Amino acid sequence: MLGTAVLHLQSTEQLLKAIALACAALSVAIGAWYLIRRPHLHRVTKTLLLLGLGVFPLIVSLTGNIASFEYTLTRPFCGSCHVMGPYLRDAEDPKSNSLAAMHSRNHKFGENSCYTCHADYQMFGAITTKMNGMRHLFKYVTEYASTGPDGQGGPPIHLYKPFKSEACMQCHSMTAKKYLEQHADQVEQMRSGDVACIDCHNEVHPLALSRRATARREER
Amino acid sequence: MKHRMAKQMVLFSVIGTMVAMGFMASSIIFPLPLLLVLAMSIGQGIAIFALALFLLAVALDLQSSGVAYIPADETAPEAVAEAGPEAPPAPPAT
Repeated sequence: MLGTAVLHLQSTEQLLKAIALACAALSVAIGAWYLIRRPHLHRVTKTLLLLGLGVFPLIVSLTGNIASFEYTLTRPFCGSCHVMGPYLRDAEDPKSNSLAAMHSRNHKFGENSCYTCHADYQMFGAITTKMNGMRHLFKYVTEYASTGPDGQGGPPIHLYKPFKSEACMQCHSMTAKKYLEQHADQVEQMRSGDVACIDCHNEVHPLALSRRATARREER
Repeated sequence: MKHRMAKQMVLFSVIGTMVAMGFMASSIIFPLPLLLVLAMSIGQGIAIFALALFLLAVALDLQSSGVAYIPADETAPEAVAEAGPEAPPAPPAT
């Protein structure tokens, strides 16, 4: 039965989650056994408690953290805050022609399309991105938690800093022949950072942005 | 376990670990942002505190039973005989 269950795990993240949950269950079982039986603390009891209070929780912590960090990269996680509803629906809409939707349909982005474009790409990019995530959560709890569907009534959503072209350049080379032909006038400005990709290719989240604008107009 | 306080510490440690496991398991089953942050901060904090409490309880227990201060090798008769006449006299048996 266990083997069958393991075969149904489709990713490393699911395997880690399964290990974490199994270790948590073992830890709780040992704790419950101690609370119910209240055995004398002999060597065997201490060893069992060391497993239940030390080893298993440590495994839960390690595997759980890795699995959770992996999950925080996915689109369903980003969309789990209700203010992200329009962005999520647009990105998952197979008929949408927005950049977000087209990139989400690309199998190289897949479920991680939000993170792939919005993550920082410096040496400590993952850490700064997660720190920004904590800021998102703080803002969500303090400013958007009691807003209406899709965040209606809350302040408009905006990026903390201008979107950098480095994110686009992870895939779209600025030295490719086709790119140079199409962007002959802007190449120098692009390379110096004076012009960003989304200055011209600005249909990133149009549906979401138009909905927010409509909502703001209705509020006025 | 002879130290009375040590028993209570183990009890608190077990309860704390169960609470921490509840936090962590719920964040894995329902991976919502707030729950994840709570599990990774409060949950893990409680788990670390509970483990420290358990280890302290074991140390207190060893101290109260005297095991931590009398290494078995030094009190063994063979070890005393091998030490020779310069060796300090063995402590009187109580």
